[in-house]
Amino acid sequence: MAESERDAFVFLDRGGKRWPRLRLVTLLAALLAFVGLVLFVQSLLTMPRLQQPRSLAVLQDRLKKLQAQEAAKPADTKPIWLKAAPGQPRKGVAGGVHAGNGGKEIRLGFYAGWDPASLVSLKEHAGELTHLSPKWLTMVDGEGTLEVAVDDDVRELARDAGIVLMPRLDNLRGDTWLPEAVEGLLYGPPARREKFISEVVEQLTEAEAGGVIIDWCQLDPTYRGQVTSLLLELATVLHQRGMQLWFGVPVGDELRAFDLEALAPVVDRFVGMLHDENSEYDEPGPIASQPWFEGWLKVVTSYGRPEQWVISLGTYGYDWPQGGKADFIGFADAMARAGRAGVRCSVKPPYGNPFFSYVEENRRHTVWFLDAVSFANQLLAVRRLGLGGVAIFQLGTEDPAIWQTLKLPVATTDRRQFAFLQSMPAGELIANLGRGDFIRVEDARADGARDVRVTADGAIASRYLRFPSYLTVTHQGEGTGDQVAITFDDGPDARWTPRILDILKERQVKAAFFMVGNKMEDNPELVRRMLAEGHEVGVHTYYHPDLAEVSAERALLELNATQRLLEKIAGRSTLLFRPPYNADSRPANEAGIIPVQIAQGLGYLTVGHSIDPKDWQKPGTEELLERVKAGRAFGRVILLHDAGGDRRQTVEALPAIIDYLETRGDRIVPLGALIGLESAALMPPPAYQSPFARLVSERGFSVLHSLEKFLWAFMIVATILVALRTFAVIGLAMRQRRASVAAGGFAPPVSVMIAAYNEEKVIASTLTALLRSDYEGGMEIIVVDDGSTDGTAEEVEAVSRRDDRVRLIRQENLGKARALRAGLAAARHEIVVTLDADTQFQPDTVRELVAPLNDPGVGAVSGHAKVGNRRTFIARCQDLEYTCGFNLDRRAYHHLNCITVVPGAVSALRKSAVLSAGGISTDTLAEDTDLTLCLHRLGYRVAYAPAAIAWTEAPERFASLARQRFRWAFGTLQCLWKHRDLVFSGPNRALGWFSLPGLWFFQIVLVAVGPLVDAFLVSALFAGGGLRIALFIGFFLGMDLLLAVLACRLEPEPLRNAWRIVPMRFVYRPLLSWVVWKSLVKAGKGVWVGWGKQERSGSVTMPSIGNG
Amino acid sequence: MSRAGKGMGMSGRWRGRRWLVVLGCLLSLALAGCRQGEPKKAPSMATGPQTVVWPQDKAYTGAYVDFGEAEDQVTIEAIEQFEKMVGKRQAVIAFSSFWGEQSFPAQKLELLSRHGSLPLVFWSPWDRPYDQRRPPDKFSLHAILAGKWDRYIDRWADGARAFGRPMLVAWGLEMNGNWFPWSGFFYGAGRVIPGTDPPQYEGPELYRRAYRYVVDRVRARGVINILWGFHVNHTTFPDLPWNRMARYYPGPEYVDWLGMSTYGMQVNTQGWCQFIEVNEGAYRELAAVDQAKPMVLAEWGVGEFPAHGSKAEWIRSAFELLQNRYSRFKAAVYWHERWQNADKSYSNLRVNSSPEALEAYRQGVASGYWLDRPIYRPR
Repeated sequence: MAESERDAFVFLDRGGKRWPRLRLVTLLAALLAFVGLVLFVQSLLTMPRLQQPRSLAVLQDRLKKLQAQEAAKPADTKPIWLKAAPGQPRKGVAGGVHAGNGGKEIRLGFYAGWDPASLVSLKEHAGELTHLSPKWLTMVDGEGTLEVAVDDDVRELARDAGIVLMPRLDNLRGDTWLPEAVEGLLYGPPARREKFISEVVEQLTEAEAGGVIIDWCQLDPTYRGQVTSLLLELATVLHQRGMQLWFGVPVGDELRAFDLEALAPVVDRFVGMLHDENSEYDEPGPIASQPWFEGWLKVVTSYGRPEQWVISLGTYGYDWPQGGKADFIGFADAMARAGRAGVRCSVKPPYGNPFFSYVEENRRHTVWFLDAVSFANQLLAVRRLGLGGVAIFQLGTEDPAIWQTLKLPVATTDRRQFAFLQSMPAGELIANLGRGDFIRVEDARADGARDVRVTADGAIASRYLRFPSYLTVTHQGEGTGDQVAITFDDGPDARWTPRILDILKERQVKAAFFMVGNKMEDNPELVRRMLAEGHEVGVHTYYHPDLAEVSAERALLELNATQRLLEKIAGRSTLLFRPPYNADSRPANEAGIIPVQIAQGLGYLTVGHSIDPKDWQKPGTEELLERVKAGRAFGRVILLHDAGGDRRQTVEALPAIIDYLETRGDRIVPLGALIGLESAALMPPPAYQSPFARLVSERGFSVLHSLEKFLWAFMIVATILVALRTFAVIGLAMRQRRASVAAGGFAPPVSVMIAAYNEEKVIASTLTALLRSDYEGGMEIIVVDDGSTDGTAEEVEAVSRRDDRVRLIRQENLGKARALRAGLAAARHEIVVTLDADTQFQPDTVRELVAPLNDPGVGAVSGHAKVGNRRTFIARCQDLEYTCGFNLDRRAYHHLNCITVVPGAVSALRKSAVLSAGGISTDTLAEDTDLTLCLHRLGYRVAYAPAAIAWTEAPERFASLARQRFRWAFGTLQCLWKHRDLVFSGPNRALGWFSLPGLWFFQIVLVAVGPLVDAFLVSALFAGGGLRIALFIGFFLGMDLLLAVLACRLEPEPLRNAWRIVPMRFVYRPLLSWVVWKSLVKAGKGVWVGWGKQERSGSVTMPSIGNG
Repeated sequence: MSRAGKGMGMSGRWRGRRWLVVLGCLLSLALAGCRQGEPKKAPSMATGPQTVVWPQDKAYTGAYVDFGEAEDQVTIEAIEQFEKMVGKRQAVIAFSSFWGEQSFPAQKLELLSRHGSLPLVFWSPWDRPYDQRRPPDKFSLHAILAGKWDRYIDRWADGARAFGRPMLVAWGLEMNGNWFPWSGFFYGAGRVIPGTDPPQYEGPELYRRAYRYVVDRVRARGVINILWGFHVNHTTFPDLPWNRMARYYPGPEYVDWLGMSTYGMQVNTQGWCQFIEVNEGAYRELAAVDQAKPMVLAEWGVGEFPAHGSKAEWIRSAFELLQNRYSRFKAAVYWHERWQNADKSYSNLRVNSSPEALEAYRQGVASGYWLDRPIYRPR
């Protein structure tokens, strides 16, 4: 190869200095960025534990150690059950056999949907239950109106486990019994009862229930008779539907309202509710002392048949603060209290219920509860009577050992059988302690132990030796009863937060804002305004991920980055934290526990919420207010959102919420007030940091932020451009199609030339196809053998011998461009047709290709290349790519006369035009593109002949495709660079303003930054921008698909091929990015790039020939 | 937050409620009484920024909404729930301030004020447990007159002054019965005070003195925003001349309005009486006590006893009569409560004791005659 030829190569750097310089600059920049990055990351990952004020530590210790108190001796149980015995005492029944349920003991679980522990217990013990009673149907007025709360998950769970659902039908709403709800039916018109009954039946049918359990309280005993009548009516209808009517039997005064004697033949089962001897409103006392239990047991079961009875055994406890209403607690909660207080506690006569007292903050508490030992005693008493079964009230509160207890034989006095009660594994229970929305998790799980013995009369007695220690969630910040706090999550937001701040300012209310780092970056002035106006700020992570789902490092980063950012923006740090997604103040599973643990490990205070009106559901301003009202009965920290969607309703409801709270007599306070701390103590100045480290972390945020903004902007611009281009191309292609005219009449003699290098496999068939051409003018065929080392020349000569239209020119290997030059020089005619050695023409191809040259203004014509070897996936993809390119882009460009490349594989050239354009150049790898652009410079038109079809061979393997595409990419880059002056100028406006800039942007820039955009999208996907990303990806794929479908319609190809565009994207994009980058690097290095040689398989066929 | 309905067997809050002793109906329809006088404004005993306007041709609707054991657990939830149920805001909300609590209900008054209701406070001098038919306790009329509770009265007065907005106060209500410890019944009853002619009776006279003592003491602290009520029971018991309403009247200069409690059947040992039967005679008697004062039906209600009579009819008839026959009542305050009696039966005075009763109440109170918020005027 001659030196002079090499000199003319675009991008060639003769001195060879460009690359070393470029490399040095790049290296230095990278080094600097790397050091900065390391320092930045370090500042995010190494954060000293937040400095908490001392008073806080004191506060947190309060719940760690409770003080034991001598338990007061409760008053003796009075045998009031004796008054409730039937007039005619029945004979005792023999125990031992469970009749009426196929000999199988009924095990009914009472389920509480509002207590997550109930679900946990149900899932774990579904196999041990036969029936389940969730509180699903509540009567709310005297009209028989039902409030229905069917939980489909529970329904399916029960169905899958083969548990019969027996929903409770009660008159308890919230904490209030509504006697009128039942009484209105009792003396109302019959139609009202009928409507009620059909409503109940309908709900039960829909819930796939086996029946219903009646649970009515506070009825006036005056209506005993009417109650029986109503239940008879209900039972009749239920029985017709194959469902059962069970009746919950309360004891004590409540029993007066029911005539068990009369009800016995009416109801299928009685469920004796033998607990709540002392309710939460009473003075402290046993939940179900053994004498009380056995007394009532004997009395109630003397009604009806023994096997008709299911006895509900309590498993819960009450914690009575002195002079107040008790908290309903579970066994784990009782253990947490007893363990901390270090009390003594035992199960022994006369009560057989464990109890203890402790002091918390000078307030005495008395706890009575039920455990597996009291359960065992009561279970044995039930089984001795041979009843229908037992119920557990309620799932989720129980001592886990009760499940083992249920397996005990009917009568047992063998101490060894109770040995299992002695060990108390820590297990997975979660205990709750204290009241309030500031929560901590204490995980000092340890097993417990109790001493169990059997007394002389066969009862089991026990003593706690060591209380088990469960995972414990402690609550603080109950405040005084009239304190309430308003909190906002997910902000700040430029649109909504200022409006909320305005309202708060006007109403002089202080709130807390739990903010997301990336939104703080967008609106730093709002963060400063919050602090200036006296609000509290807290960390709500940086990107709002579910901290239970992400890695520990990521979680750390989320918190630290947000904290650092706050320090940068406002010069304050914060101790307040609220986890995204799981911020209920009673976490009940890992998803709720883990974020709290992470945050408290760093010294944060986690603040949950206890009033959640779910403003994101946009329920309407009035409903939002109603939800706050309903929640205020139990909670004190309101959760609202000031970002993350249309918050108009929140903004509108806020003044009404403030009005309501103030009318109610509440004081709206900052969170700190709930735990008796100044807000300033919760937001101390930042811990010490070197100025340099601070500079780095602040810069880091700025850089990251600008980068992110730039990428989003780039995405948006790219999206718009892609859309514009797509529609422009479609529009133009359609117009071109209508405007195209049939060829004919113009048939001058043509020279056909083929450059061939090692093409022995294909050259013969290429020539054979060519010679079958139906072209009417004269035709000579020139094959330039570019120094092939195989049998190419022999193959050509063989054909030449048969047909003298074929001529062979041989030269040493000089490259395709030089081969074409030689061919052009040898061509005898003005019209020259070029094709590649692997390309097969149809008989009409030459005719169609030459036709546009009838117009003397046309300098070159592009044919329509198609893939002839659709054997591999890669090849089929290229087929679709060609279909799109030739049917749409090229038609569109033709319409505007701005075709950028007339492919050497199938083209017709006007020799004089080519020569005046400087002939075929050798300074780029894409001599066809170069030539086309040169022709444009001279003002020639470049046409497209869609009917001039040539079947070409596409690379079938990835590697060869990559080589081919690199050649094209590098060639295109060279041509673009060489003709860069044509962009936005030159005589051909369509070329300068449409096709060349398009080439730059869509084939170089967009393809080059593809991987960067991909990386950004993936990271955004992890950061929770899922929807936005999906929209982008969907949009681009949609555009591709649209083009592909249209192209297939125009071809016409089967439409199903168009779907191939989707997987193609994921194969092509990385490939194209890679070759573009490789080209850029090669251009930077300034080295000479030679022709790769594509492997030929000789597999091109012409599928459409047969079809005409 | 035990949202857990604790299974069953919730303790009924049972309490010996009042009026167990109320006998059957008093059929005193024929009593000649005073003409229904035109309502007049209360003579102004006080000057202040605002006072209540007693409406001319309309009346305020109001209620006591089961505020618990000491009748003072005033919550916005209870009020709003009631208002939603009856379909009308309440111009007047009544509650009690028992002397046994030794406190001034400042927060409750603020709450009502913000809610836009005129407070009616039953300021009752008795001690825990608040069981009826107990003899006088440490808050006896003698003790009050001896000045033993002056400091408490002063404190209470200061609270009222600080509140500053109009409030209705009924001190020592239903004194013409024998169930509250401040009734004349417990203080010598009908014993004639020697040397009086016409004869004066010890019980009523002591009550009058105590009433005046308390009001004087409060006024002496500069309180001008209280409108004082003289609040009797519709039946007088024992029904004897010495125990007549007028015997207890402290005088027009001490009273701004005349109040009355009128109840239909409350416990199952009583018989069923129509509203007109229980109200007519008492209304005329009270109206005659002072023709110049506006009257307030400070308590009214009836139990749900479907076997005895229709509560819905009773309520319908009451609303009709209040509007057309007893129009000197410028306000009517319904006693919305259900309680359990010693025999475990219930007395359900709630407006929603049955759907029919509720509907009758809703319809009755929906009339434009019943104003849903108080009207004030500058003084």
